[in-house]
Amino acid sequence: MRVLRASDVGKVLLKGGPARVDTQVPAKFKPGDEVVTRNMSPEGHTRLPRYARGRRGVVKRHHGVFIFPDTHAANGDKNPQNLYSVCFTARELWGEPASEIDKVNIDLWDDYLDRA
Amino acid sequence: MSDRHEHAHLPDTVLRVKALESLLVEKGLVDPAALDTLIETYEHKVGPRNGSRVVARAWSDPDFKQRLLRNASAAIAELGFTGRQGEDMVVLENSEKVHNMVVCTLCSCYPWPVLGLPPVWYKSAPYRARAVIDPRGVLKEFGVELPETTEIRVWDSTAEVRYLVLPMRPRDSEGMDEEALAELVTRDSMIGTGLPLSPSQVPSSK
Repeated sequence: MRVLRASDVGKVLLKGGPARVDTQVPAKFKPGDEVVTRNMSPEGHTRLPRYARGRRGVVKRHHGVFIFPDTHAANGDKNPQNLYSVCFTARELWGEPASEIDKVNIDLWDDYLDRA
Repeated sequence: MSDRHEHAHLPDTVLRVKALESLLVEKGLVDPAALDTLIETYEHKVGPRNGSRVVARAWSDPDFKQRLLRNASAAIAELGFTGRQGEDMVVLENSEKVHNMVVCTLCSCYPWPVLGLPPVWYKSAPYRARAVIDPRGVLKEFGVELPETTEIRVWDSTAEVRYLVLPMRPRDSEGMDEEALAELVTRDSMIGTGLPLSPSQVPSSK
């Protein structure tokens, strides 16, 4: 078991813990694509918030390839996937009473998304 | 008096943390000096002053601003702010048309190298729940009212990308140098729950 020593704290903080992966994985989507999030209820860890399941959005940014937290939390499998910023209108998420112009952007991985 | 009595007035969570800490130290899994160094780092060295320097640089140097919007991690590294919880930074520029606001609905993700550790309200369930469904109501409670025509764009930090808001440079700040500009940048203005100060709110800045 490695124990963090006071003299190493600065080094460790500086190094960080990158989740970006230097692997080429074909991206399923590109900015501008219309997507729909999967409606799922896994027992374990997921980063797809419940309020955004089964909702339509538009891919705005492609962040690159990152560790997929669902499998990584379950069994250590990094399962690298493309990560996107997906834009949802407030109306799509919350219905009529919501503002006509406001948006929520959520970072989502390939496995959370289908083509709309 | 027993140890238990001395601690009896402490809340449950504090007691539990203390019990856990002493157990980890006793078993040699945690070095108390390392804990002190960690706390010292985020109490005195790393905090929102870092972020305010990034914003002030972007306000005064158009080339830096372009680099910042294109590749935030690299541009912020030019100022020496790198490391844990800032590995993949994205900067969001506010304008008259769009106001950006950051939340982590799942936990408390926050860009440590530029803002330090998150404030208690940022980690609280009410902020996390309401920021996405009622951002205008939340902003109002922070004393910020934006025109109906300004789009509010909430960013839910569900992944390892960390967001920093680049607020609009206040009117009447022409001619101010970078150091004076940094004094106008508040922590909340970089989360998107506040606006920068105007020069008249900082008496020594002119």
